Amino acid sequence: MLEVRNVTVKYGNIVGVRNVSFKANSGEIIGFIGADGAGKSSTMHAIAGVKRFEGEIVFNGYAYHSPKEAEKIKPYLSLMPQGLGLVLYDNLSVKEHFEFFRNIRGVKKDIDYETRLLKMAGLYEFQDRLAGHLSGGMRQKLSLILALLPRPKLLILDEPTTGVDPISRKELWEIVDEFRKKEGIIALISTAYMQEAEKMDKLLLFDEGEVIAKGNAKELKESIKDYTYEGEIEREDCFSFNNRTYCLKPLNLKKAPPLLEGVFFVNALKKGKKNLKINLEEKDVKLPEVVVKAVGLTKKFGNFIADDHIDLELKSGEILGLLGANGAGKTTFIKMLLGLYPIDEGELYLLGKRIKSYEDRLELKSKIGYMSQRFALYEEMSVKENMEYFAKMHDLSPKETKEKIEYFSTLFGFKKYLNDFPKDLPLGINQRFSLSVALLHEPVVLFLDEPTSGVDTIARATFWRFLREIKEKWKISILITTHYMSEAEYCDRVVVLKRGKKIVDEEVKKLHEKFPGLSFEEIFIKYYEESG
Amino acid sequence: MKVGVIKAYLKKEFIDLWRSKMIIMVYLIPAMIVILFGYGIRMEVIHSRTVIIDRDDTKLSHEIIRAFSTTKYFDAKVLNITDNEALKLIKQNKADLFIIIPHNFEKNLMHSSDSEIAVYIDGSFPLRATTLEGYVQGVFLNLLEKNGVKVPFKINQRNFFNESMRDENGIVPGLIGLTMLIAPAIIAALLIVKEKEVGTIFNFYSSPVSKIEFLIAKLIPPFVLYSLNTFILFLIAVYIFKVPFKGSFLLYFLASEIYIAISIGIGLLVSIITSRQVTALVLTVLITVIPGFLYSGILMPISSMTGESYIEAHLFPVMYYNHLLYDAFLIAQGFNSPKNVEYFFILIFYAIALLFIGSLLLKKELK
Repeated sequence: MLEVRNVTVKYGNIVGVRNVSFKANSGEIIGFIGADGAGKSSTMHAIAGVKRFEGEIVFNGYAYHSPKEAEKIKPYLSLMPQGLGLVLYDNLSVKEHFEFFRNIRGVKKDIDYETRLLKMAGLYEFQDRLAGHLSGGMRQKLSLILALLPRPKLLILDEPTTGVDPISRKELWEIVDEFRKKEGIIALISTAYMQEAEKMDKLLLFDEGEVIAKGNAKELKESIKDYTYEGEIEREDCFSFNNRTYCLKPLNLKKAPPLLEGVFFVNALKKGKKNLKINLEEKDVKLPEVVVKAVGLTKKFGNFIADDHIDLELKSGEILGLLGANGAGKTTFIKMLLGLYPIDEGELYLLGKRIKSYEDRLELKSKIGYMSQRFALYEEMSVKENMEYFAKMHDLSPKETKEKIEYFSTLFGFKKYLNDFPKDLPLGINQRFSLSVALLHEPVVLFLDEPTSGVDTIARATFWRFLREIKEKWKISILITTHYMSEAEYCDRVVVLKRGKKIVDEEVKKLHEKFPGLSFEEIFIKYYEESG
Repeated sequence: MKVGVIKAYLKKEFIDLWRSKMIIMVYLIPAMIVILFGYGIRMEVIHSRTVIIDRDDTKLSHEIIRAFSTTKYFDAKVLNITDNEALKLIKQNKADLFIIIPHNFEKNLMHSSDSEIAVYIDGSFPLRATTLEGYVQGVFLNLLEKNGVKVPFKINQRNFFNESMRDENGIVPGLIGLTMLIAPAIIAALLIVKEKEVGTIFNFYSSPVSKIEFLIAKLIPPFVLYSLNTFILFLIAVYIFKVPFKGSFLLYFLASEIYIAISIGIGLLVSIITSRQVTALVLTVLITVIPGFLYSGILMPISSMTGESYIEAHLFPVMYYNHLLYDAFLIAQGFNSPKNVEYFFILIFYAIALLFIGSLLLKKELK
């Protein structure tokens, strides 16, 4: 039994998470759902006894209030922190990891058990391989079985599946599920994937350092069924996303079965948050049918082929989703399109013109808006100064700059944050302001690299609405990368990469026709398995 | 304390040091510092470019010229030029000093005592200038004596400990003191900070591994590796730089072991306040190189320091170790000298204090 009572975690003056309380019984999986910075990790660190906290935690009758007191429960717990294989030593082989963890955890060698773990994780054949040479998914599975090695009673996994390929993700879940049943452990698992929430026995929904809702998926969905409608509308007091509309006031629309993410929308509405109005002026732009065309683009780093002969066409007025796990080659590909990496093999055309020389690339850059992973903003400059800086880079006059800042900050709703520093702002605000930076020089193509990673549900919904609007009214073609397979839903067409190779290139509509009733997650697992 | 845990950690550290090739750094860098600096630093002034303007042209003036030409300290050239031209040579950095023997110099000297020789020295490097001044005076003093000019007393000079006045003898032991302060501290800091930066520190935080086990496992590798370095550096000093070793090897070894512990203690403190390897590296280098160099006694004897610098020199452990090092290499008093005993215990105190503070400040939790 685990009981968490009023736990608050602070980093100096900043509150990581406030007043979390919950109970968990053995054999239960407790899911922590929420965006980056919502307080999931802080709570986990407090429970694992690696971070100071206020409040009380009781595990199997033993109460602790500090990391020091938590020492007594450490033999019974395993923590897998956030990040791909953070707890692994790159220079140690799989076998050496087992030996090291066995010894530091004081566990006797149990060959049957270890073999079972290795086989489950599909690492049995790779025991002599160094951790540094394992793929992201394998690293994550190795971390998980190492966490299971001391047969913990309390298993704490912080975003174990983020950025991992869909098959490894499925396998990770199977391992956890089997152990929960057999060993009767309590597992605390945080995730950024809503669809994984269904697999948990109990859920804690985190938002801005607080738990906003508790219960199992069914109860939580039940709680918002009165506010969930079918279709999407544009109103200030309603949120629409994913073919659902959430509104506290009764609407003259058909009710729809609620989705879990709806809890975040309803909570935001209850807090008095307003939906951002989006209305762009129509622009008349004439562009050729194919905006960007890549033929057989290849990039090698030494022996490693990051992208292997990839063909891709970005058509005028479409949102193309480039999907894949971490390390699949998405970012490398975008960097080649941008001219940030030299192309090892293949041809690249922009607006029908072959891009070859340095001058071509300069011209290329003036037509492309780019938003990099984690946004690449200057932390020491305010939002306004950042925008002025980027405007200068694109040779905008001071007058134009002023107008654009005014225009975009109003449009994307970050006007009141203009004088704040990016590091003090929520990820969602930074995301919108980065988007406006990418749009400053009126590009015809927009490349977005993982813009939604770690961003909260509402900001993500708003962001996708913006993208659709930009596409429709400004006729900008958008290439977006993401590791959330479910986001494929909002694209017109998707290309899926797997270890540098293209395995899917299909219109979203057609995918649905081909696999009726399947979720994107399931569709992609099929493709993944097919490609071997 | 569980021995199994420590053994597991130690094995992992050594595998990692080996496979990450950090082991090369452990052995190459100290040897490199000693060899590069050992050849690079020279305090001695030799082959000074000397211009002699002989306007006397007598037996005595020729003797003066000969005296300056037959020593390694001066490369003398006799030129017939004006004072201004000579000055120009110094300005263009073509000469370090010039000497003017005036007309009638010998005659005046024989008949009256009123006679002058002009010596002009380039003073842009004060240390070199004063050294040259001393040399020049010495040459003249010798000459006068030889020529029967009465000097009221005779200097019978002899250098102790470094009889041949070799630069290497003075500098190389000091460099060992510098190296052994920098290098173990860097490795100790990096071994801990690397785990923080990568995230593997969670294996320590969230497991039953105790603080003392972790510390022992982290500090033993640099200690053992650098203990071997004390032998390597000793061999470099004695066989490459031919520094005499007159004292007790036991004193050298014991003092070095304690000194390594001090250095590791500094590394430990750095690892507590930093969380990135780059920061840890820069910070360690900063806080070890400056005192290690300034207050080691390589450049300037501590006894001639005054005020703040004297206090600072006594605050850093470098001075005490270097004193023992010089004793071991050149003086050979060993533990017979009460000062050596005192300094030895001061070093022990530093080692214990640093490691104790470090282990108190190390927390088994996230900041």
